[in-house]
Amino acid sequence: MAQSDPSFQAQQLVELLAVVSSCEDEATATVAAVECAAQTLEAEVSALVVGGRVATSVGFRAGSVDHDVLVGVAPGRRARLEVPGVGSCAAGAASLGDAEGGLLVIARVGDDDFSVAEHNLIRGMARVLGLTLRMLRTLDAERRRQRLMRHLYGVQRAISRRVPLQQILDTVVGGIREVLGARDDMTALWLLDSEAPGQVVLASTAGLGKERAGRSWRMPVAEAGAVGAAIRTDQLTHRTGYEDAGAALRDLTSRRLVHSLAAPVYENGVVAGGLLICRHHDDRDFMAIEQEKLLAFAEHVSLAITDARTVRDMHQAMQDSLTGLASRALFLQRLQEELDQADQAAGRTAVLFIDLDRFKQVNDTFGHAAGDLLLVGVAERLRRVVRDHDVAARFGGDEFAVMIRDVSDAEHAVDVADRILAALGAAFPVPGGQADVDASIGIALGEPAELDADELMRRADVAMYQAKRTGRGHAVVFGPELPAGVGRDSMEVDVRRAIEQLTDTWSSSTFA
Amino acid sequence: MTVDEPTTSRWMAVARSADPDSYAAGVEAASEALRQGDGKLLLVFAGINHDPKQLARGLAEAAPGVPVVGCSTHGEIGPDGPLDGSVMVAALGGAGFSIATAAAAEVNGRQREAGAEVARCATEVEDRPHRVLMLFTDGLARDQEVVLRGAYGVLGASVPLFGGAAGDGWRMSGTFQLHGEDVLTNGVVAVCIASDAPIGIGISHGWRAAGEPMVVTSSGDGRVYELDDEPALDAYLRRLGAPEEVYHDSAALSRYVLSRPLGVQRRSGLEVRNMSTEVDVAGRSIGGGGDLALGGLTWAMEGDEESVLAATEEACREAVASLDGRPMVGMVTLSCAACRAVLGDDGIVREGARLAEQADGVPFAGFYTYGEIARTKGINGFHNQTLVVLALA
Repeated sequence: MAQSDPSFQAQQLVELLAVVSSCEDEATATVAAVECAAQTLEAEVSALVVGGRVATSVGFRAGSVDHDVLVGVAPGRRARLEVPGVGSCAAGAASLGDAEGGLLVIARVGDDDFSVAEHNLIRGMARVLGLTLRMLRTLDAERRRQRLMRHLYGVQRAISRRVPLQQILDTVVGGIREVLGARDDMTALWLLDSEAPGQVVLASTAGLGKERAGRSWRMPVAEAGAVGAAIRTDQLTHRTGYEDAGAALRDLTSRRLVHSLAAPVYENGVVAGGLLICRHHDDRDFMAIEQEKLLAFAEHVSLAITDARTVRDMHQAMQDSLTGLASRALFLQRLQEELDQADQAAGRTAVLFIDLDRFKQVNDTFGHAAGDLLLVGVAERLRRVVRDHDVAARFGGDEFAVMIRDVSDAEHAVDVADRILAALGAAFPVPGGQADVDASIGIALGEPAELDADELMRRADVAMYQAKRTGRGHAVVFGPELPAGVGRDSMEVDVRRAIEQLTDTWSSSTFA
Repeated sequence: MTVDEPTTSRWMAVARSADPDSYAAGVEAASEALRQGDGKLLLVFAGINHDPKQLARGLAEAAPGVPVVGCSTHGEIGPDGPLDGSVMVAALGGAGFSIATAAAAEVNGRQREAGAEVARCATEVEDRPHRVLMLFTDGLARDQEVVLRGAYGVLGASVPLFGGAAGDGWRMSGTFQLHGEDVLTNGVVAVCIASDAPIGIGISHGWRAAGEPMVVTSSGDGRVYELDDEPALDAYLRRLGAPEEVYHDSAALSRYVLSRPLGVQRRSGLEVRNMSTEVDVAGRSIGGGGDLALGGLTWAMEGDEESVLAATEEACREAVASLDGRPMVGMVTLSCAACRAVLGDDGIVREGARLAEQADGVPFAGFYTYGEIARTKGINGFHNQTLVVLALA
């Protein structure tokens, strides 16, 4: 079968199509195509020229591709070119028929020029290559879109599962770099520093290198290049080189920055920082699709930051703002949950109601600031006594409560109460001196499926009152012998309080 | 034992040892090959029965500091005829040669990278007007042509490629490659030879198309499932007019397909694809010699002892003709293990005689391979069921 035989040409085109269309991506396909084209014509040199530059070639020694010579071969005309170490070659070229002006160039060693049939074959191969590359680009775009959706879905899922914020931010920053697919790109999230106005801090990065990523980076917004401009203008911003950039950004990017693009990120609708893509070697500008992707990821960063803030706010609402202990509402909620889930085999739940003795005197003697400091100190000592899975709360004023899970019996609870009393027994350093306080503790043990949180608290309150009545500084376990109607809600409590305040005043000499 | 004497500023000498002790065989063959002078390179082809580490140790003992490149075989070829289980050594020496060697391990999955790695040794040789990169690969590895593409990517068209895929005596369990005292499996070893005098390469096969071509209507992963919309094995056998027994008797089938490869059309003729090593009798598909493009044309091919022997002579003549009339100092002759099966034990002796006749008194060494490497034009360099010959002037 001769080379001029149309069926030979058709077979070669079929083979090229089979080779190129089996490739996963455009880069692999172009290498396979130039090799296949060279093989078909038994040529030594084959190249794909795009936009006046050699995109892929074979036949030249590595690093010695002669761009000018290859680009200079005009489509459809006989030409000769000189390949170093090989000699004079017959050359032919044909257009891929694509928008980028792609050109397939083939060269074969020897004196014989390509025949008309061979030129036709080069034209056919160029067209097949052009069509296949277009198809691959479309497929590639679809694959990239799917990859983007997969990443964004992953971020959304992480947010809904309340994955730690840093982990989500790292996922986003790594994700945008992967989706953009450039190995030398660096992506980073900068957030405004809440403690240093006008400064941004590096919150997460990808592609920076281990050593640099491990360092702490901050810079003034005014010197933060594209990120600073995105924050100031509240818009997607592009910068070339080190425009608007200071020393920190130069250092961070090793003075290799060619292009950067940043999108603002928000916390509750207010600009909180910027998501940045840096391009180091590639002098290609950012395309519209890349800008859209950056905005999509930036929106997800905003979502994650805002959600984390909401969670933080909710958490704070359930905490005592002075001591950081659980609030009364959170304590009662946790107690009820515990009682609902209580497993008899696992033990009972005990509540210790703690009321400080002589607290008013601290306030009166040293001032409210010292009183607050003492309350913070009490909270710290309580935390040290209880286990991680127990709950300590401040109910307000000088009242505290502790929920102890899985207590074996009343003795177990009394043991914890004694340890609390011992912990509080040491003097508290406050501005102006040392403050001594005691505590009265009422203990009530939960009965699974019989008591609700309110009833258990009422019993602990009654027991605590009994402790107050019987000499302070000790604990009393609620029992049937205690008057059921006596407790904090009764008038007697108010009287007790009044008496207590008086006695506290009288014993002021206790304080140094 | 045969020894050939160096006669010029570029010399080649060959020696064989049939000693079953690998260390002793290495010492003996290397010592004999280097008897007349300091060598610059030892090419070593050894039976798979040899312990490669002991062999390498023996070679190093006899030729300290001399670069060693070689591999296991499916039979060793030398001036005294073909033999199994021996150690064949070809020594190159003289001021007219400059040598650099390289090796790459763990080639599977990174064939192109490995080819590029070993090809870089070509930058280490002295600047001489003629060069060749000789490679020995693992014959059981896939996509060996991609190793050559990797080497071509580094060298471009200016350096021809030559070599072969290591065999293991049809055990199909593992080959070895030698680089100095390093032993590799799943590796590629290479040597760049730069010379003041021409280096010729000859390529020839003895197969001819049988009948009209067939269209590949289903293929993939190195297998052909359908030809002309029929199960590939049946279409192929019918095109050849195969006897009834090969349709049912798998042993008869294996013998039959070994000497009847497929061919694909290239500009300068049909390129041979071995389809015998992975015949699926139950699934009626054929495979083993690389991908055949879907929709492409392929020919069933046939040959016989005489056509194979004629190809042997042709390859030698082509290699010698490239020496521009300069006297030849030696030849490396690589023939295919499948051709050996066609020739049989008596046939390979006759092949050896033809080689000796073509060598005309100059030393030659080689082996039966699982794939032949020779690129002199275009970018393709990997062949099946072909004889490739390198002639050194």
